[in-house]
Amino acid sequence: MKRIGLVGLIVCVGMARAEEASLTFEKDVRPLLKAHCTLCHGEEEKPKGGVDLRLRRFMDAPLDGGATLLVPGKPEASELVAIIERGEMPKKGHPVPPEQLDIIRRWIAQGAKTARPEPETLGHGPLITEEERSHWSFQPVKRPEVPEIEGAATPIDAFLATAMRKEGLDFAPEADRATLLRRVTLDLTGLLPTPAEVETFVADPDPTAYEKAVDRLLASPAYGERWARHWLDIVGYADSNGYAEADSARPHAWRYRDYVIRAFNEDKPWDEFLREQLAGDELAGATHADYQAAVLDPKKRDQLIATAFLRMAPDGTGDPNDDAKLARNQVVAEQLKIVSSSLLGLTVACAQCHDHRHDPISHEDYYRFRAIFEPAYNWEAWRPPAQRLYSLYTPEERAKAAEIEKAAAAINAEAREMSKKFLDEIFEVEILKLPEAEREPYRLARATAEKDRSPEQKALLKKYPSALALYSLNLYDQKKQDLVDAKVKEADALRATKPPQSFVMALTEVKGQVPESKLFNRGDHEQPVRSVTPGELSILAAPEIESFQPAAVSSGSSGRRLAYANWLTSGQHPLVARVFVNRFWMHHFGRGIVATPGDFGLAGDRPSHPELLDWLADEFVKGGWRLKPLHRAMLLSHAYRQSSENPRSLEADPDNRLLARHKLRRVEAEAIRDSILAAAGTLVDKPFGPPSTIARDTAGRIVTGIDKGTITAAKVEPGGEQDFRRSIYIEVRRSKPVTVLDTFDAPAMAPHCEMRSQTTVAPQSLLLMNDTFILDSARRLADRVHEEVPGDERERLRRAWMLLFGREPSESDILRSLDYLKLQTATLTVFHARQPVPAPAKDAPVPAPPDPAREAFASLCQVLYSSNRFLYVE
Amino acid sequence: MNSARLCSRRHFLQANGFGLGSLALATLLRKDGLLAAPVKPNLGPDNDFNLLPKQSHFDGKAKAMISLFMMGGPSQMDLFDPKPMLTKYDGQNFPGEIKYDNLAQASSKVFGSPWQFSKHGECGMELSELLPHLGKVADDICLIRSMVSGVSNHAQGLYAINSGRITAGNPALGSWLTYGLGSETEELPAYMVLSHPGGLPTFQGEHFTNGWLPALYQGTVVRATEPRILNLDPPPSLAGDGQRRQLDLLRSLNEEHSSENPGELDLRARIASYELAAKMQTAAKEALDISDEPEHIKKLYGVDDPVTRDYATRCLIARRLVERGVRYVQVLNAGQSWDQHSSLLGSLPKLCAATDQPSAALVTDLKQRGLLDSTVVHWGGEMGRLPVLQNDAGRDKWGRDHNTFGFSQWVAGGGFKGGHVHGETDEWSHKAVVDPVHHYDWHATLLHAFGLDHTKLTYKRNGLAASLTNDPGARVVTQLLA
Repeated sequence: MKRIGLVGLIVCVGMARAEEASLTFEKDVRPLLKAHCTLCHGEEEKPKGGVDLRLRRFMDAPLDGGATLLVPGKPEASELVAIIERGEMPKKGHPVPPEQLDIIRRWIAQGAKTARPEPETLGHGPLITEEERSHWSFQPVKRPEVPEIEGAATPIDAFLATAMRKEGLDFAPEADRATLLRRVTLDLTGLLPTPAEVETFVADPDPTAYEKAVDRLLASPAYGERWARHWLDIVGYADSNGYAEADSARPHAWRYRDYVIRAFNEDKPWDEFLREQLAGDELAGATHADYQAAVLDPKKRDQLIATAFLRMAPDGTGDPNDDAKLARNQVVAEQLKIVSSSLLGLTVACAQCHDHRHDPISHEDYYRFRAIFEPAYNWEAWRPPAQRLYSLYTPEERAKAAEIEKAAAAINAEAREMSKKFLDEIFEVEILKLPEAEREPYRLARATAEKDRSPEQKALLKKYPSALALYSLNLYDQKKQDLVDAKVKEADALRATKPPQSFVMALTEVKGQVPESKLFNRGDHEQPVRSVTPGELSILAAPEIESFQPAAVSSGSSGRRLAYANWLTSGQHPLVARVFVNRFWMHHFGRGIVATPGDFGLAGDRPSHPELLDWLADEFVKGGWRLKPLHRAMLLSHAYRQSSENPRSLEADPDNRLLARHKLRRVEAEAIRDSILAAAGTLVDKPFGPPSTIARDTAGRIVTGIDKGTITAAKVEPGGEQDFRRSIYIEVRRSKPVTVLDTFDAPAMAPHCEMRSQTTVAPQSLLLMNDTFILDSARRLADRVHEEVPGDERERLRRAWMLLFGREPSESDILRSLDYLKLQTATLTVFHARQPVPAPAKDAPVPAPPDPAREAFASLCQVLYSSNRFLYVE
Repeated sequence: MNSARLCSRRHFLQANGFGLGSLALATLLRKDGLLAAPVKPNLGPDNDFNLLPKQSHFDGKAKAMISLFMMGGPSQMDLFDPKPMLTKYDGQNFPGEIKYDNLAQASSKVFGSPWQFSKHGECGMELSELLPHLGKVADDICLIRSMVSGVSNHAQGLYAINSGRITAGNPALGSWLTYGLGSETEELPAYMVLSHPGGLPTFQGEHFTNGWLPALYQGTVVRATEPRILNLDPPPSLAGDGQRRQLDLLRSLNEEHSSENPGELDLRARIASYELAAKMQTAAKEALDISDEPEHIKKLYGVDDPVTRDYATRCLIARRLVERGVRYVQVLNAGQSWDQHSSLLGSLPKLCAATDQPSAALVTDLKQRGLLDSTVVHWGGEMGRLPVLQNDAGRDKWGRDHNTFGFSQWVAGGGFKGGHVHGETDEWSHKAVVDPVHHYDWHATLLHAFGLDHTKLTYKRNGLAASLTNDPGARVVTQLLA
């Protein structure tokens, strides 16, 4: 009963209120009619039977058969009620449930009132009702008072405690320090705390020890490497183009990844971060043909790099694909999907083909939204990925490169000349083999360009094929070919001395080119219907708020994106800040205040703590859109610091919506891999730059390394330290997900990921049991522990526990481990004794003899890596 | 059939290559004990969810299911539902009322099926020339021509037909079946998913998520190409006793950790997944390897033909999995390849060519092995298509828009009637008018075939008893059952 009460409180408040108040068309009746009736009776071009139920006043129209649809005050005389009662309507779909019909009856009995005068006309797209307009997430953020509640350590706690105390719950006590440090370290950096960090923290008598730890972690470069990953999921970061079979490389995307990591580490204000990503080119004054000044200025270059946010969608337009125009429009559609769900928390994609099914977003809205981006994504004057790269050459480098190119081209011309001369010489010898009469005609035929040759000439050349000597010098004279080749190599060598050129991947507009935006029938670009102007979604462009007004910027760009970015970050937008703080909350607490982080619309989840969400959003904006203070506010709350032990909460609130305990979570894919490497002592801290490469190995896994495979056989060579960098620096090839990450739910970027799934399946267990990655890491961890603790086995176990779990093993842990090591050593000794001794290779160093005890310890390390204590954060 | 299942358990006892004897025996005894007792899933936070076989509510013929899911919405009037009226009015304005998915947009021109239908089997079932192989098993299949979900679009359509609700994040059908009935194998996941080389279907993990059911009941995805499951080989030095010892230690550490975290069902699921993984090392390799299947069987499915090879191989693997006790197997397509908004004339025949023979072969093969009685084979998508054309930009570009008001699917085996056609759409194949089967009716009927009462198979969630058939109108369509 308890739980039912709880749900009732959270979910059914709105319903209860409807029962008490007098009923209105907009609030109580229209939603029912919309669900059951208006598809036929209102939304079609010609409403069926002439009955249009979209507005109350339409119901006054007389019916064909003479009956009256609606008699205010008299439900029994109203055909609307009768026809439903008789079961004749709705013709298809579910019958109207009795309780809903009862609402209609009562509404008519009360006089069939509307809440306000109805609109005079209904235009394109759906009518947005006051009720839709009043959906919680479309309202301006309203800062609530922080509830006064005893014992609440922070404002966040005050909001949470208010809700949970209504259910007779209270927070769990604070978690023990070792647990807390492990939790917050993994959370902020994606890495484990070191044993020294744990020891210091546990022993620190300072009451602000935890606060200091949070600040230390927020200042760590590893913070950006962890939190950038969350944003890269949402934007769909990949180092490949996707879409087409080829999944070609996107070799310059990494600059954007680095930009994001730096933005987090520098605590770049989020409003600036968004403006740069949406309109960095316009801020930097760059256009497609005029970007030189921007790339040479570090700040502007960063702004340009930031626009790669809008280049994240899969883009197959540079690769072979079936339908080039479709491929272009797909890029735009996917990019809009990313923009809308990442920034607005709305799924606009449905409206590409028709009015949105759940949200008040019309087909027209979608194309107005699309028009904001069309000057940069002009599908009829398309620029494929290769034409969206901007060279980082300085003018000097450019001049030098041109000079070298000129010289190299001259050498190439020389080589061609040489080849021609050699062939002509050969021809003069070869032609003597022909009958004299045919020599001149043959010479003439040879000198004639291939397309101009007469049939007779072609026949003649065919008659004496070997005399032609126009191509294939190597077949006539390899030595002369070698001379030509040497010349070509000379040109290549010269070209190699050009200053190395690097590129920025960015989104720009072509100066002055502003295509006319059209609404596409059914989303089909081949069926443009009517022109549209750029604009915000109608539902978000509330008349009382000044939403964006595009004004061309001086560079010649349309300024549409800049105006839009300014509006989004004005602090007036109802969604941007809410959507953002909700995501932060989700990453810290395991679920969002709105559990559907990419859908704040009518079909999305309702906030569990609406006031808290608004307080956070307002605090964030007022505080200058800074991330780190937002982290601190959440992390210093008791809600974050509490332990997972709270039997009452577990009983009454198993989903933990009220947050009266900490809920255990599995560590994310990247943090699992990085922590495994870090514990083994092999993680390479080499930030930024081009990604570590990946390849398919002979077992079919995708691993880090250098691809030496052929079409027929896979082969991977070790990539040295590149193989051991943090996961965020590993190449993201959409068609080749890295096995270790993929197995633990790293997302496939198609086109992006709103919220990762957290699966528990046997392939994960198989990976931890048998994959070379884990076996190698366990071996290295064993080596590390032996190096650091040479003598005592117990001490080694203690060390391993501290490295992986941040806590000491219990005595029973030690005893069962010692027991395990003894037996496992014996098994491995037997195994090695049975292995044939390989014949010693000449001059090769003698391989070290097997060390069963060390191998046994490595196999123990593997068990610890595979254990739930390692894989979950408590 | 029963012998095949028992066989897999006996096989398990004999093949204790990991020194599993006592553990296995204990588990089996427990299983047998539980088999004798009526088990209603026991609920509450401290409850031990498991995959032990559960007794059904009553006797049901079906024990396993293979779902050949066709994401996108296969065109029923071109495959299953012949309509002379469409042919008669081909190219003319549609005289009736259309429930367009997108109001006011699609063309109103009737698009008669360009393909011929003919009668098949003793039952005389009319099927399209695009499905010649299916015609050969017409007497074994139950064709439902009156499917309805009435929801909009692919997402809702998929959620409705796959999870009974129209939002994301709810348990898939396969999760409900494994939750309700447990597993008949200890060596393979109870719920397996065979994905297409081109990737997962649209909405990806939603096809096999456990939603809010415990993680134990989620689908395990098998890779589309070899190796279909990675990391099946233990390192040589630890194979056998060494690895068993590792797993024993791991289990004891995990059990202790789990007892410190009561109510965390994911921890329990992971403990189980190690035990399963250990057994999969041999069992999965064997089950997924079709190389020792006789040539005539491979040929029956079309493994020898490049056009059918992929789908044939996966259908054949699906049969092998069911034979070995897997409860639910999904064979998926990529993207939403059956979504012919345009170019239907070109793409539909290609899709049929790749899938028709393998799908029919699966029915034939299960039957000849005596497994069809206890295995439900399902073929269908999340919606159908409209009788009018879409994309009127030249015949080769013609397509059809979505239709959730009347579409077709077929089902074979597991107690469903063979050689039976159920329901009718109107004369245009637009709306189901005779004996409509809503998605929730289909679910209720399917659960019934498994001996499960759809009102009793529930899971307590936020204080409510949630079921797969989330609709008060759901009913068992007894006419579908033999």
